[in-house]
This record gives sequence, C-alpha cells and structure tokens, in this order.
Amino acid sequence: MLRVLLLIIFLFASINLYAKNPISSPNFDDIRKEIIADEKYVFDDKNILIKVPKFADNPLQVPIFVDAKKIKNAKRLILFADFNPITKIIDMDLEKLLPIVSLNIKVAQETPIRALVLDKNGLWHIGSENIKSFGGGCSVGSLSSLNEELKKLLGKGKISVYKNNTTFKIKSSIFHPMETGLVFGNEEFYINKIRIKTDKNIVLSTIKTYSSISENPRFTFETKEETKNFILELHDTSGNEFLLSSKK
Amino acid sequence: MRVFILIIAFIAVTSAKDFDYNLKAIQLAKNSYYIYGKEEYFSIQNGGDIANVSFIETNKSVILIDTGSSFAYGNQVKRLIEEKTKKPVKHIINTHHHSDHFLGNNAFKNATIYSDKFTAKEIKKNGELYIKNLVALLGETMKGTKIKNVDIILQNDNKDFDGYKLHFFYLKGHTKSDLVIYDKNTNILYASDLVFNNRALATIDANLKEWVNSLNLLKKIDYDICVPGHGKAFKDKTPLDLDIKYLNFLKTTLEYGNKNGLNVFEILDLKVPKEIKNFSMFEEEYERSIINLSNKQ
Ligand SMILES: [Zn+2]
Repeated sequence: MLRVLLLIIFLFASINLYAKNPISSPNFDDIRKEIIADEKYVFDDKNILIKVPKFADNPLQVPIFVDAKKIKNAKRLILFADFNPITKIIDMDLEKLLPIVSLNIKVAQETPIRALVLDKNGLWHIGSENIKSFGGGCSVGSLSSLNEELKKLLGKGKISVYKNNTTFKIKSSIFHPMETGLVFGNEEFYINKIRIKTDKNIVLSTIKTYSSISENPRFTFETKEETKNFILELHDTSGNEFLLSSKK
Repeated sequence: MRVFILIIAFIAVTSAKDFDYNLKAIQLAKNSYYIYGKEEYFSIQNGGDIANVSFIETNKSVILIDTGSSFAYGNQVKRLIEEKTKKPVKHIINTHHHSDHFLGNNAFKNATIYSDKFTAKEIKKNGELYIKNLVALLGETMKGTKIKNVDIILQNDNKDFDGYKLHFFYLKGHTKSDLVIYDKNTNILYASDLVFNNRALATIDANLKEWVNSLNLLKKIDYDICVPGHGKAFKDKTPLDLDIKYLNFLKTTLEYGNKNGLNVFEILDLKVPKEIKNFSMFEEEYERSIINLSNKQ
C-alpha cells in the first residue's frame, strides 16, 4: 500500500515538475510535432542548461551554450528557436559526442530557444530559455557574401582541441556566409552537414546544420574519444566539401 | 462623446510635444559648462540622454562639444545655452561617430560643424543607419532628427574660434578616430569617449591596445578638470588609471579564454576585480564587450 502511495506521489511530483512549458509560445507545439512527431517528451530544465546573453545586442551573432551532460547516454540533441523564420538550428547525432554544444545564431526577434535531448529510453527531454533581442538577424543578408575575397576565404577554418580530464573540447571555426536565402536576390547558401571523424576514419557524429547559424560559424563539441587527430568534414548546400584537421 | 474627443485631443497634443530632457548645465569654469548624460543604455525613458555634452562661451560666440542623440536633445541644449548667454552657438565639434554624440547636429542650423576626417566620413556614410537604429530604440523622441554633415575637417593641433584657441589631440582606441580637446584658457580637458568615469567602457568599435596607449598619453596632461564622454567630470587621474585597468583586464581575460578554449559564458563567469565590477553599467557593458570582442578574435 505504502509503495503504491509512494508511486502515486512520485508520479504526481514528476508530472508537476515537467508538465508545463516554462516558456509558452503559440509555435512550440507545431514545431515539436514536426521534429519529434508523437514521441514522448518532458520539459526538463533541471537537466538541460542553456546559456544565452542577458540581452542579445547583435542579432546576427548571438552566442548560445547548451549542456545536457546530466542526461546519461543521450542519443540525439536538437536545437530550435520558436520565432525564427528558420526555426531549426542544429541536429546532432550523439554516437560518440557528449550532449554539449556552443555556437552563434541569428535571431529575428525575441524568441524562446529549445534544446531537445533524446535519452537511452527513448524519452525526449526539453530545455527552454528565452533570448531577449530587438532582432533583425535573419532578414539581413550575409556580410561576407559581399566580400570580394569570398572565393579565396570560403571554407578556410581551424580546429583547436583542449583536453580537460577525460573529455576533449573540439573548437572550430570556418569562413562561410551561411546565407539564409530570406533576403530577396540572395540564394540560400549554407553549411548543412558536418561529420566529425578521427584520423582512423571512425565517425564520432553526423550533424545537420541550418542557416539560422551565424555567418563564419564557430562550433564547440565535446567527446571522450581520444585520438591524435580530429577531422571535421563540412558540406554546404552548393555541394562544396571542406576538411578541417586538428593536426598542425 | 465630447469627453472622448477631448481625451483624444489631449493625447494628440501631449504626444506631439517633444521629449523633455530636463537638461542642466553644470559650471566648470567662468564660461565653461557641461551637461551630464545619464549612465544608462538608450531607452524610451531617457530619450537617449546618455552622453556628456560641453559648451564654452567665448567673447563672440559659443563653442559646443558634441550634440547628443536627437534633434530634440540638440534643441533643448540650444535653449539651455540661451538661458546663459545671448551669444549664438557658432561652432560645433563632433568628437567621434557614435550616435549619442552627433545626432543633435541639425538643431543648429547656423553653426559650423567640425570633426576629424574619419568621423566626418562615417557620419556621411552611416548617419542614416544610426538614425534608423535609434528610432527602433527611442521611437517618437527621434522625430525631426536628420543628418547634418561636418563642414570643416580639423587637421591642425590648434584652432582659433573667433579669437578663442583650442588644442586638439587626434587619438584612437574607443573608435578608429577619437578627438580630444584641451582648453589652455581654463585648463580643462574634454576627453571624449576615450575616458569613462567609473562607468563601464563601451567597446563596440574599440581597439583595446590603442585605447590604453591613448589613455597613457592623456595621463601626461596636467589638467585641472577632465570631462569624460560618460560619467561625471573629475579632477585627478584616478578614473584614467581605472579605465586602463579595465581595458587590460578585458584583454587578458579574452586571451586567457582563448588559450583555454572557453566559450563566452565561461569567460563571463571568470572572477572580476572589485573596482572594475563597481563601475556603473558593468553587467550589461561587460557582457557586450566579451561577446563582441570574442567574435572579432
Ligand atoms: Zn562612443
């Protein structure tokens, strides 16, 4: 009897803990359905940390940091922003990556940002945070696409690796306009796939990226896989392929 | 119904009225004054009154240093000066191209505007964009604000304004081109945005190393009073030393973050010395600085 009672209390507590969307928005449910259909989910700000600026001054380069390390054996991490015209930001396969990422995004207006993390039991955990901004970041054409040097610089980038106890932080940046195609006359042109590999050709992760990511993107991923050389293979919508290697 | 119409009429009248800045001139010397700008970010409430403006009454006219964020602000500066003297504002010096320092220019139809070459070019090239950005932040307050371009480019160390001599330092660091004005007659230094007094520094266009160099140069001047671009006027050199400390702290913090692969939020979590943390507007400017400067790296 006591066990049943405890179970009821537990269920009740967990429902209360997770039931409500902490930042409600009229778009949330549609986007969620589009991404995870009818799969089970809970709101879980306790286990997902999202950091954004107190105020995003420059809507073209808004840094965000997501850390869902508390969810053990996470399988996938997806980020989206409710009110962006391009809602999706990144979709990471977590085969051999930790559920952590930092990158810069464009925001069109003040918007909630969501991190969806799939745990090993098939349950999605959703973290939410609000980005305050006057916006305008998505409707502005890329600055570097105007750059006459674009052809020379396109795809140039670097990787630095930082070791911290048992984890490796892979920090990378690459020159790319990440053009949204939302500005009349500008064609969509952005990096849409990243593969992280070791020099022995072991794939750590395959990642889908979207044009809501800022131009000249910079990513930080983390892994426990030790290797002499991390390789990033980046593909863009025009069929270009760029290789970045951490080996000096 | 009549009440309703009355209310509408009332609203129409009050909203058509200019924003009231309630400006006060603070006297620094017999004929020298400054108007203290609030240590705040642009808001509807402050109407963009966030930077210091100074003026000097000479034998024949008035020299105005910077003109604030809007046409309405410029107009109210003009009225404030008219309370002090009958002499006209004939000379206006724009210290640099930031919108809180020159968008009151067009309130002075008959004045000659001076600046250095880069500032003049920036105002001409990006002035409209500055207005557009401030309309988004200040709305109605910006009514009537138009670009009034620089008329004369300053190039020499000294210039005579109707018999009143001023000395110029052409420096950089806060922007690519910051004009500092030294008045030997009163021994007052108008330091533009190269100096903030206990107010967190705005680094949006900054070059940290060049800024520190400029401050070291200004430290050598034996002024009685220094009027900073933001924060209260002061007498000693302490604010300059604190500004140098702040800039060096930003520089070493960013270098440390870069070397250790920290993201901006991890950098923002690093410990900050107390005297720097005590600056007004620290929370907002510091975050802005770290984000902007890391993007440039
Ligand atoms: Zn300034």
